[in-house]
Amino acid sequence: MRVLVEPLIVSLISFLLALIIVIVDAVVNNYGEVKITINKKKTMTVKGGVPLLFTLASQGVFIPSACGGRGSCGVCKVKVLSDVGPYLPTEFAYISKEQMKENVRLSCQVKVKKDIEIEIPEELLYAKKFQAVVEKINNVTYDIKELTLKLIEPKTIDFRAGQYVQLSIPPYGKINEVTQRAYSISSPPSENEHIQLLIRLVPGGAATTYVHNYMKEGEKVQFTGPFGEFYVRETNAVMICVAGGSGMAPLRSLIIDLYQKNVEREIWYFFGARAMKDLFYVDFFMELEKKWKNFHFIPALSSPDPQDEWNGEIGLITDVLDKYLKSKIDLSKPKEGYLCGSPGMINACVQVMKNNGIAEEKIYFDKFA
Amino acid sequence: MSPEFIEAQKNMKPGVISSVGFLGDDERDLAQIIQEDELLMSQLQLDFDEVARWMERIMDEAVKGLGEPMIVEGKWEVQIYEARGFIPCPFKDGIFRKRVALVRNLQNNAKISFSDLSIHLLKKHHFLQGRGSPFRIEPEQLKKLLD
Repeated sequence: MRVLVEPLIVSLISFLLALIIVIVDAVVNNYGEVKITINKKKTMTVKGGVPLLFTLASQGVFIPSACGGRGSCGVCKVKVLSDVGPYLPTEFAYISKEQMKENVRLSCQVKVKKDIEIEIPEELLYAKKFQAVVEKINNVTYDIKELTLKLIEPKTIDFRAGQYVQLSIPPYGKINEVTQRAYSISSPPSENEHIQLLIRLVPGGAATTYVHNYMKEGEKVQFTGPFGEFYVRETNAVMICVAGGSGMAPLRSLIIDLYQKNVEREIWYFFGARAMKDLFYVDFFMELEKKWKNFHFIPALSSPDPQDEWNGEIGLITDVLDKYLKSKIDLSKPKEGYLCGSPGMINACVQVMKNNGIAEEKIYFDKFA
Repeated sequence: MSPEFIEAQKNMKPGVISSVGFLGDDERDLAQIIQEDELLMSQLQLDFDEVARWMERIMDEAVKGLGEPMIVEGKWEVQIYEARGFIPCPFKDGIFRKRVALVRNLQNNAKISFSDLSIHLLKKHHFLQGRGSPFRIEPEQLKKLLD
């Protein structure tokens, strides 16, 4: 009898303790309904107690986040105008002193416990969640895939050439949760029923490994967007565009968009790769160059293979850029730089552009950082 | 294990800091992984500080390639891959760019990839990641790469 009673008593005590915890949690952490005011013009009533990032997402306001709200990427920053308590230790590493003065916070770390007011870039109010189907997967090089996503719901997307989306990667292998990663749109805004993305395989990368090794045509995917402030400024300055690898994506979208709009500006597009096997879309841009007199395409190989029989520019893209800025591009015309690539590549190109008289504030880039 | 190690081990599980985590399918605990790797490194006459300095040098050279492969000292081909965002150390003592160098020994074709965080984990914590982790630095492979 004792054998039966004792476990029953222990179970009962455990159950009562768990019940007390649930009740206390519900009472203490029940913040009821709270209001979030965005940019002083949009107010939403939400259930309190949830991190700001997820609360906003539940209301259709999507703040970009590269880690899905784990507090490990530092991307989901918003300016909080109300007092939401001191900075958390998890935030310190990502928020600069200047940002602290402006009360910039990581939205995944700040819980909405009372009415708060926030400021976010206006464009984020227009970002949406999209359902799409993988229409085509095309190998553009041995390590870069071009994904074509056909939109299901909403059926169309409005974006500015140069912007990016956050693609959700489903759980696979040992990864048991959704991973989100940002990829620039490589197709032009005119093709608004689908988008194209260029995804380069990163060794050990959770999302790129999925796209390269697991993703299938016909598969349904989700993404949010559009995001980003990398777009063409409406001036008449000569555009100096530089990219390498999958940095091609936003520039391809920008250039096709300008061509379709019959823009008269002079555009130079420098694309760097190591050898022929790393080059792609070359025929497309060379054809475009033939039919669009303002457009100049300069692919450059840093280390062509002997069998490449390459007659084009040879050298690191920074060296080729420097040569053209010094000798082939009209020095007297105002210029703007448009760059997309790794921080290392962008920093090097910005230096070359500055050395050649392009003002730093006229250099726009989409840095992978 | 110390409270610091217990906390770090929690942070190393998939989904906490990174989707794949740092422990792979290794069933050893963090302290065991570090102790056994320290022994292995010592048997292979590999010094953690020297290896870290070499990795930092390789990373610096890889950056100069602007994303394209570079030949370093006529011995290694290195290529850098960069992604958006940052990643914190699971021991909570640093935050690093998502930058990965892929290194290949031109003579024997041995390959290793490591990130800025991998260098920090190796240098500061003697942690080479668990077996099966995509960023595990296998001491034997490292030795082959350095030969």
